[in-house]
Amino acid sequence: MSSQKPLHQVVFAPEGRTVRVPHDTLLVDAAAQAGLFIDIPCGGQGRCGRCQVKVEEGLTTHGESPYLSRQQMAEGWVLSCVCRVASDLKVTVPPKRERERAVTTASRKAAAPPLDWPVSPGIHRFSVELSPPSLEDPTTDLERLTVALTRRGGFSSLEVPLPIVQQLPVTLRRGDWRVNAVVEQGPTPERARLLALHPGHEPCPLWGLAVDIGTTNVVAFLVDLESGKILGQASSLNRQVARGEDVISRIIYSLKGDGLAVLQRLVMETITSLIAELTAPRPADSAHIHSVVVAANTTMSHLFLGITPRHIREEPYVPVTNRYPVVRAGELGLPLNPNAAIYTIPSIAAYVGGDITSGALTSGIYKTPALTLFMDVGTNGEIVLGNADWLMTDACSAGPAFEGAGIRCGMRAIPGAIEDITISSKTLEPTIRTIGDEPPQGICGSGMISALSEMLITGVISRSGRLNVDSMGQRMGERSRVRRGDHGPEYVFVWAQDSGTGKDISFSEVDIDNLIRAKGAIYAGIEVMLKSAGITHDMIEQVLIGGAFGQHINIEDAIQIGLLPDLPWERFKYLGNTSLSGAYNVLLSREARAKAEEVAGKMTYLELIADNSFMNEFTAALFLPHTEIDKFPSVKVLLEQGSQ
Amino acid sequence: MPKVEVPLEKWSGKVREVTLGGSGGRKGLTVGGEATLPFLSFEGAMPHPPSVAIEVSDTPASEWAAPLRQAWGDALEDPGAWAKKAAELGADLIVLRLNSAHPEQGNTGPEQAKAAAEKVLAAVNLPVVVLGPEVPEKDNEVLMAVSDLAAGQRIGLGYCMEKNYRTIAASCIANNHVALAKTPIDLNLAKQLNILISDVGLSADSIIMDPTTGALGYGLEYTYSVMERLRLAALVGDKMTAMPMFCTVGEESWRQKESKFAEGVPPTWGQHDRRSLVWEQITALALINAGADIVVLRHPKTVDAVKAAIRKLAG
Repeated sequence: MSSQKPLHQVVFAPEGRTVRVPHDTLLVDAAAQAGLFIDIPCGGQGRCGRCQVKVEEGLTTHGESPYLSRQQMAEGWVLSCVCRVASDLKVTVPPKRERERAVTTASRKAAAPPLDWPVSPGIHRFSVELSPPSLEDPTTDLERLTVALTRRGGFSSLEVPLPIVQQLPVTLRRGDWRVNAVVEQGPTPERARLLALHPGHEPCPLWGLAVDIGTTNVVAFLVDLESGKILGQASSLNRQVARGEDVISRIIYSLKGDGLAVLQRLVMETITSLIAELTAPRPADSAHIHSVVVAANTTMSHLFLGITPRHIREEPYVPVTNRYPVVRAGELGLPLNPNAAIYTIPSIAAYVGGDITSGALTSGIYKTPALTLFMDVGTNGEIVLGNADWLMTDACSAGPAFEGAGIRCGMRAIPGAIEDITISSKTLEPTIRTIGDEPPQGICGSGMISALSEMLITGVISRSGRLNVDSMGQRMGERSRVRRGDHGPEYVFVWAQDSGTGKDISFSEVDIDNLIRAKGAIYAGIEVMLKSAGITHDMIEQVLIGGAFGQHINIEDAIQIGLLPDLPWERFKYLGNTSLSGAYNVLLSREARAKAEEVAGKMTYLELIADNSFMNEFTAALFLPHTEIDKFPSVKVLLEQGSQ
Repeated sequence: MPKVEVPLEKWSGKVREVTLGGSGGRKGLTVGGEATLPFLSFEGAMPHPPSVAIEVSDTPASEWAAPLRQAWGDALEDPGAWAKKAAELGADLIVLRLNSAHPEQGNTGPEQAKAAAEKVLAAVNLPVVVLGPEVPEKDNEVLMAVSDLAAGQRIGLGYCMEKNYRTIAASCIANNHVALAKTPIDLNLAKQLNILISDVGLSADSIIMDPTTGALGYGLEYTYSVMERLRLAALVGDKMTAMPMFCTVGEESWRQKESKFAEGVPPTWGQHDRRSLVWEQITALALINAGADIVVLRHPKTVDAVKAAIRKLAG
């Protein structure tokens, strides 16, 4: 019997280099034989997706990969590190830059959120020309304006705030009886309120602001209310962070002296700075912002409006309100049109806020027949389970780790943040990718998930998250990335001379513990919810994820660390910041606003504090990926392969 | 008389059998192997009834309560003599606690640990378990020395804890010993540590777990409940909770004021020497019924009482 395998000819485009290799040779090895060296940062395990090539003709062996979409696979794209030659082949090797981009576009979502309703923000601009008063027509200024505007808008009544009335004679005469009026429709369609009056008919913008007030980060869109276009996006650390990292410490702070007023002022300052950032590059000023929609968790909503969050923390955990009064910008001191209405999206319970109502709206969970798990991962992890027929929700405190806080080298998902890490299983050397390809400054949520997963699979850490300093140190030699540092055992991702900060970027055991606690809390929240509803994992038809991970989250990594349940990859979809997307929709559509209120009213809240199984699920989840490895069959296989 | 069928639970799993000693001239003792809850012989096998260990200290245990000091007398002065007396009083195995290695109780090193272990190993041919002072770094230091000394005699070494399991587990592999894995009263933590130790490469047949004992009045019901859950998990087939269980009953019950003090306590508490024995016995019997495979005791009378109870329960 001959052990000789048949030889196949492989032609590599565009250079046209040709080699003959035995059947079953790895494509990456065949390429190397042809003098084409393809980087395999993961050490050739099909785990990083950086070695894509396109098979133009011929047969190969290649399974499914999360790095390749169905369409890419149909086009012949394969990962050369796991794909074997099975016949004569023609293969195209794209230049390195292109391979990188292929990864990026396959895993990244579009930046602009979808608008699910026609643009109808309920804010109108009318350019009207009034006839000047005369002895024959001595109608008052206000009545003259009111009649013209109600006729024009088809309203039965128009409310005009006093400051506009006080300015009215000047405004009308300066514009030579021609004015631009900004009118807000509501609360019923036939009633209206005048928000602003500008002399003349020069074009003036009609802007709105959608704001997501997170416990850690605040993000805002400046929106053109006429076209629905997003004119700008800005984000900033919530300045309240200086007074406590999570909602509980904020609540405690709010109870001290003028703490409530301080926290309200700090969030106003944060939003004010975002407004300044958004309007600075534009010719018009922030007085043209006529409508604001805020999505925030219950505590943030309370603090924003200066309502005490005290009872959110005390049994039986009752907020002052889940539905918030509409206020005017002038009352809160925000630098907008003082008459601009500020609408806060309704909450569901003490720990499930308007951000989740907003997210549920974005995710479409309320209208789909498919059994859906929607989760928003931020400082708190909130979970919604259900479909068009029923909705159930719970919340768990994950801590700010995924948002970059509480982790020594953690940062927000902004340029310079490491968002993806691959560790070679052979050399244990990392390959990193940063947002915007800028020098690394730190690591954001998606980078942390990726790092933890890679460290687990390559054996750098144990399943309890301990760094194996001695044996890894031996393997890596003198310049070991696994070492005992100032903060205890750590793994160094980026050496000081390569980093944008001039300092080593690393993960210590303390950081790892914090991350494991964060992911454990979220997974436990999912498990308790599923068990209460009598749902098994395989019944979940889709998992929709929102949150602050960054530009994207690698589903495979998130499963490997036990953050997400081990379901087929195609059931997961990352939606980005769903809280902000929902606020954007509500800003632009009165119909969306009505739907948000309906959805908030429909959700059943499951109180985990009252559920004694949570602690048990939580400790079970404080392990990688989980104490019950059989819940993660795909990870079990990987770990077994790794240990062989 | 109509025949009544007794409803029987069908378990798919069973507790692992772990053998201490049985090589290097040491008598063997196998624990575990239960295919049912404790003593339900009509339902499944309990091949090895619970074993009784007697605790011996490498120090003269001057802080121990009077009833204990009276019972052991001069034997307290020498761990070898102490172990010998324990064997005569019916111990199935000896547990040597290296108290003097504790940084606050002498901070002795590997040499003293070896000397104490050598005395005990020479004095008896029963299986032996050696416990460090439960200070991770220190445990590694003294237990490594003892492990090498007793290579091939298959002693038990404790404790492997989440912080230091690697070193002790690796040494158990090298010298064919049994690791004692200790976790703070929690099912998941116990299971996690068993997985971690197994991941290092120590066979699951060489792991005994200590779920942490709470004495009567000091968390007994908590320990009972966690042990019961661990055992139920093992019986339904979970291999990583199927290790035999080890409870330091004597240490925990004699630590409490009810056992320790004769004076300065309410008169209604009754006679001290009786009360303290009852404290240790009730704790031991409760945990045997929760699934303990080894109870570590201090007072000779408790040893008698517990052994008698086990004989009756095992029928």
